[in-house]
Amino acid sequence: LTHLDPSTPISPEDARALWLSHEAATHSLSQQLTEHLRLILAPTLATKLRGDFRTGKRLNLKRIIPYIASGYKRDKIWLRRSQPSKRSYQVMIALDDSKSMSESGASNLALKTLTLVTRSLAMLEVGEVAVVGFGDEVNVAHEFDKPFTSEAGVRVFEQFGFEASKTDVRGLVERSLDLFAEARRKGSSAAGEDLWQLMLIVSDGICDSHAEIQRLVRRAQEERVMIVFIIIDSSGPPSAQPAPSMHPATAAEGPVAPQKEKEKQKTSILDLQSVEISPEGKVVRWKYMERFPFRYYLVVRDVRELPGVLAGALRQWFGEVAGSA
Amino acid sequence: MELAAEQKVPIRLSTRDPSIQIAEETGVLLVQTSLNRLKLSALVNDLLHKDERRIPFDILINGKFLRATIDEFLTQNGISPETTLDVEYTRALVPPLNVRSF
Ligand SMILES: [Mg+2]
Repeated sequence: LTHLDPSTPISPEDARALWLSHEAATHSLSQQLTEHLRLILAPTLATKLRGDFRTGKRLNLKRIIPYIASGYKRDKIWLRRSQPSKRSYQVMIALDDSKSMSESGASNLALKTLTLVTRSLAMLEVGEVAVVGFGDEVNVAHEFDKPFTSEAGVRVFEQFGFEASKTDVRGLVERSLDLFAEARRKGSSAAGEDLWQLMLIVSDGICDSHAEIQRLVRRAQEERVMIVFIIIDSSGPPSAQPAPSMHPATAAEGPVAPQKEKEKQKTSILDLQSVEISPEGKVVRWKYMERFPFRYYLVVRDVRELPGVLAGALRQWFGEVAGSA
Repeated sequence: MELAAEQKVPIRLSTRDPSIQIAEETGVLLVQTSLNRLKLSALVNDLLHKDERRIPFDILINGKFLRATIDEFLTQNGISPETTLDVEYTRALVPPLNVRSF
């Protein structure tokens, strides 16, 4: 890729060519994801009978005695099948623009993931899509109130160079919660519609400040913003790997990749170790993912895995949250 | 409790000395950027399971001797903590004066 214009990370021509090639390459996967999401995100058809109406299908027996007692005045005694309120969504995709993405070779798979997800959501027409980039700071690459067309995709691609010298995930989550709160206020969704907010973080998963992130993840939960962390694991050969894992389901560490040669092999995030050395020189080591601060995460090594695992994560979340609501 | 806002950097350890190779396949390790030579030397000793007879090590990052903390090294050499560092350890040529601080 040539860098003719220093103000943008990649030239508009390169961004367009890259977007179009990813769009073509992920076309059938986008359709697959769209089908999955249609089933998950659409509200289930109303099957429950609800009270209290003056006419209806069936009598609400609990209302009969008050009805008689009121001298036949409290006459809302009928049950009906009611339509659920229409759901709408605001989905934010946060793409890691830090240098570790290009160094580890995760950036290309990350851009493909972004293409796949944004195309799929556009086909679904369930709501608004925003894209932000994060590294040392947060850049809003596409706002909620604009339609996400192919042209918008090209504009987004122009804003990613994977050169940022930090990966401030804490700052990202904090800023995103503000953006979500603002979007809820402005929301173009009609009154009475049920608004759901979802954030997908696409990153190699390496970040600091886990304790502070955990606090923010709890705040997100309180503000009804769902966060799914999609970890792009560019280690090892793609496709020939075991299925990606979904926390907290069985982490598919699977058969450990055979240690082939000792040359610079990449370490999978599932094998990555974190070290802490105290001032006295005491060494503590643990598997990085054991203390990963996000509850819902996926490890993806190949874009072809994405429709299935992303749908799985969302289905699980709806089972826990929407099911209880 | 985790120390607030502590930055970490990925490193890959290696040595040219066959007598002090780490047996375990450690791959990439995430370490605090506040570490200096002594702390990294302690880490290598821990990985070598040298509980008693600790070996003092010199540390080289990208071929340069580490004299301060990793953080200062990165700033001085204009390296981003997003990069995986090649960290080489060798037996310290001159035993440092403050060995007792292990
Ligand atoms: Mg990074």
